[in-house]
Amino acid sequence: MNHHRIKVLLIEDNPTDARLIQESLSEASDDPFDLETADTLAGGLQRLSAGGVDAMLLDLALPDSFGQETFVRAKAQALGVAIIVLTGMHDDTLALKLVQGGAQDFVAKVDVSGNNLTRAILYAIERERLEQEFRKLNEELEKRIWDRTSELEAANRELEAFSYSVSHDLRAPLTHLHGFSSLLLDNHASQLDEQGQRYVRKIKDGVLRMSSLIDDLLTLAKVSRQELRRCEISLNSLVEEVMKDLESETSEREIRWLVGSLPMIECDRGLMRQVLVNLLSNAIKYTRKREHAVIEIREDVIDGKKTIVVKDNGVGFDMKFADKLFAPFQRLHREKDFEGTGIGLATVQRIIHKHSGRIWADSQPGLGATFYFTLGSEITNQSTKLTAQVVPA
Amino acid sequence: MNFESAPQPIDILLVEDNEADVRLTQEVLTDSKVRNNLIVANDGAEAMACLRRQGKFQNSARPDLILLDLNLPVKDGREVLAQIKEDANLKTIPVVILTTSKAEEDILRTYKLHANCYITKPVDLDQFVTVVRYIEDFWLAIVKLPSNHKS
Repeated sequence: MNHHRIKVLLIEDNPTDARLIQESLSEASDDPFDLETADTLAGGLQRLSAGGVDAMLLDLALPDSFGQETFVRAKAQALGVAIIVLTGMHDDTLALKLVQGGAQDFVAKVDVSGNNLTRAILYAIERERLEQEFRKLNEELEKRIWDRTSELEAANRELEAFSYSVSHDLRAPLTHLHGFSSLLLDNHASQLDEQGQRYVRKIKDGVLRMSSLIDDLLTLAKVSRQELRRCEISLNSLVEEVMKDLESETSEREIRWLVGSLPMIECDRGLMRQVLVNLLSNAIKYTRKREHAVIEIREDVIDGKKTIVVKDNGVGFDMKFADKLFAPFQRLHREKDFEGTGIGLATVQRIIHKHSGRIWADSQPGLGATFYFTLGSEITNQSTKLTAQVVPA
Repeated sequence: MNFESAPQPIDILLVEDNEADVRLTQEVLTDSKVRNNLIVANDGAEAMACLRRQGKFQNSARPDLILLDLNLPVKDGREVLAQIKEDANLKTIPVVILTTSKAEEDILRTYKLHANCYITKPVDLDQFVTVVRYIEDFWLAIVKLPSNHKS
């Protein structure tokens, strides 16, 4: 910059001050400045719009504008032009305010001398240049973020459309398959022999299984897209609520529930409910062959972290398959022994991960399974004491 | 529960483009304890023609209940619903959305358009039969609707 002539626009209505500044600038060692003067803001802004100005020396008290307003109006039209505000008095508060608003410097007229004005202008120009560069980089970055966000939003919309069509269009043919198979059995059984009827029943079973697979997959997909709506809830009352929901599965079973004193937790209630429904109905399902089923839910501290523990005395699983446990469609038991789609624990894991938590399991075949989960730092209330209470199944 | 049997059959308008769905609904309604006439419209435009007794529907009765699918060709179910609920003469007819969709946006949107209720059609036929019985019990026996002029 220093090798070119530097165009400085002075907006100042007081001829004495204007002359003072003009003289100060010409005193500067290598006199790099071309100075133009305007005595109103309007005149100054008109000159500014003609272009070529590198820096502006701006008096705030002008015939057509006063104070901070003068600066705001000048700044609005001076993109890339360094503004140095001139003032008759010391006013640090105003100075700071203007610098925050984008002025490059603030010089009191009483302090004006050739060297410090020259330095102020040169540094102001340099700062303005850096600021412009920074702004440009920032704009580019913002544009890239914007583009990426739009791409992601588009992908998300496509995914929404896809799951919508899965929800609607894939289910419709299933209702037909099931409906007409049922009608075949109800109204035309006489035309089918025993084996034929068995085949039709198999078709119906297959349809219902397909239908629950679709439902579970949609739930899994929804969990991934859904935003968390966090609130503080009592884990004990949620557990109670879920146990009531599962009554149809437990009414004819003898299950001893050991529910400890559980903490208040900060989480998405609907999603946490799904976690508990999955973990507890798994515990109910896999203890089915036990005469005395015991299901325990308590809080513990593991590796210094508050952890929720769900433990059953069911069939358990072999730990060498532990890594498959949370993968979608992975099942460790035969459908014949224990029904299921293999999506439940995948959903549970996604929900826990969404809460920045961790879930893992521990088991030995025949000796039951224990599931542990943390919720990042969200388990709020200190209550680690196990006060067992037996809830009749 | 013991419901007074209606002196005349109930008229139900089924708006459904899929032949298989029409057939299944007919089957279920045939076994109904409520005597009913099922009028079928295969798309939204036909549904409106029927409700306004235009064209081939000139002699159709004003339905007591509308079973409306959402995804229909030409004029879709949401549009049909909106038009019914904007029409001073038609808006008193209960509209039951009966669709395979479980999508929350459908549920919310149709209630915003003043659907009387939203039912996801179960895949299981036995459950579908139960649902249709509930619809009949509720809309045709339990609730009091404004007496309409069937002429």
